[in-house]
Amino acid sequence: MNGKDLKRLELEAARCRRNVVRMVEASGHGHLGGALSSMDIVTALYFYKMHCDPKNPGLEDRDRFLLSAGHKCMVQYAVLAEKGYFDKSVLDTYGGLKTLLPGHPDMHKLPGVEANTGALGHGLSLAAGMALGLRLDGKKSQVYAVMGDGELAEGSNWEAAAAAAHHHLDNLTVFVDFNGLQISGKVQDVMNFTPIGDHFAAFGWAVKDIDGNNMSQVVEALDALPLTPGKPNLIVAHTVKSKGLSFAENKAAYHYWTPKDEELSQAIQETETAIARLEQEWKEMAQ
Amino acid sequence: MKGERKDPRKELGAAVSALAEQDPRIVILSADSGGSSGFSAFAGAHPERYFEFGIMEQGVTGIAAGLATTGKIPVFCAIAPFVTCRSYEMFRNDLGYMRQNVKIIGRNGGITYSDLGATHHSLEDYAIMRMIPGAVVLSPQSPAEIRAAAKAMLAHEGPVYMRIGNPPMPEIYDEEPDFTIGKGTVLRPGTDLAILSTGSATADALEAAELLDAKGISVRVVGFPTVCPIDEELVIQTAREVGKLLTVEEHYAHGGLGTLVAEVCAEHCPVPIRMHGIPKEYATSGPYDDLKAYYRIDAPGIAQVAQEFLNK
Repeated sequence: MNGKDLKRLELEAARCRRNVVRMVEASGHGHLGGALSSMDIVTALYFYKMHCDPKNPGLEDRDRFLLSAGHKCMVQYAVLAEKGYFDKSVLDTYGGLKTLLPGHPDMHKLPGVEANTGALGHGLSLAAGMALGLRLDGKKSQVYAVMGDGELAEGSNWEAAAAAAHHHLDNLTVFVDFNGLQISGKVQDVMNFTPIGDHFAAFGWAVKDIDGNNMSQVVEALDALPLTPGKPNLIVAHTVKSKGLSFAENKAAYHYWTPKDEELSQAIQETETAIARLEQEWKEMAQ
Repeated sequence: MKGERKDPRKELGAAVSALAEQDPRIVILSADSGGSSGFSAFAGAHPERYFEFGIMEQGVTGIAAGLATTGKIPVFCAIAPFVTCRSYEMFRNDLGYMRQNVKIIGRNGGITYSDLGATHHSLEDYAIMRMIPGAVVLSPQSPAEIRAAAKAMLAHEGPVYMRIGNPPMPEIYDEEPDFTIGKGTVLRPGTDLAILSTGSATADALEAAELLDAKGISVRVVGFPTVCPIDEELVIQTAREVGKLLTVEEHYAHGGLGTLVAEVCAEHCPVPIRMHGIPKEYATSGPYDDLKAYYRIDAPGIAQVAQEFLNK
């Protein structure tokens, strides 16, 4: 990918981060940390890699995206809105009564959502089933999923990890958003699954570690798929919790954010500054 | 043929396999359970639509939901407690909440895994599965009704849980009955007492009615092969016409069919009800027939309970 296109993706991610702040502004709270740490991955998927159509969310041969860690839903809502799946004004209903944007995604409410995730440890099985079904139909469609790192402690994941490898689902790619922090503190202290890649490799997955907040590395990983034909793909994305908000980065306390007024103002200012900078850089590259 | 005993698992496997021959959307999932669920022949004939996963009921339930999102109709049959209690959240969220067209069959249900003990009994499956919005709970009462239920289950769009047993099950019909999800049937006329039953208990209820008839007691037997949604109309009609109801099920006495019947009656037509089944305890183990006798869910036991209820 050339520098201009890469800059464009970074700009989209910055706009999506602003969308996340907009949702928190509307509702007064939200699962911030993971939404921002996984933003570059989800942006690259929707704006670069996935075959999908915002005007036809049910497109038959579309690629599928699942957010196994459903509490990070603001990342998906932000990207779907930016991509044009729904009007951005809907972002202002986040968390409200009968909103299309509940605190964990609902496929029957919001076009573009493929599964009702939220209870941790479900997404990998669902994604494996989708990959199996698509392969059975001879479709080229790919299935992408984002898991949390704390989520790895759910045993059901390892049932699905074994099944995906046993059935050679190389049309399945899973990103573990390894921001290293969960509610109680460091993931390694709560329940240590590091090195994450080694665990999945032992189950028969092809594994790659990247900097998940480096758009160039995210794109490079997507270009390399399938990593090994016949094996499901596991990308360990080393990320920074709350990436993009200086006061919240790498702090477990911002897993769920109920901002004070000054924090919200700073978040708006920081995300808008990032957009302005990237727009300027992109324009300069375009000239 | 009426009275003939057949293996419910083989009936289920054969019925679903025959339908799968005609419908390529149907896929069979196994948690090291397909062979003992009657799917060996299908596995040999259609390996591309038969998937083995090993003993992982939670994983298979989620995978089934994922498959269903692509238009497949997954059928997953394994030991009843392991596809209900163990994977309950997967059924609730991935099948129920996601409204996926997946069919889960709990075999060796109730206390049919009698001597293997309480880990392998399923005495709360009706109770917990009925609480999942949109889920259908079936419990066919004879080999022919298992075949009919399999057709109805696969024609129905949405998640279904069906419970079947394991020991050879007597036929109660002359021919394969019509099966409409949500509908029960009066299987025997009577006026002194109505026995409302489901699943394996119905054959025993019919036999108990014969025993009571010999004593001059007229018993109506009403079968409910669909536990949820319960046939409210038939419950109300039975309550109004007979006025005294005994519910019988190979399940905890409370939480299943009896509770569903009581809920309907409480709201529409309060009448005396005796809910009969296994008491809320970890059931003891032993030979199946001995266990049924011990818990009085065999024909003589049911007849005895009925008489106690009538004499009260």
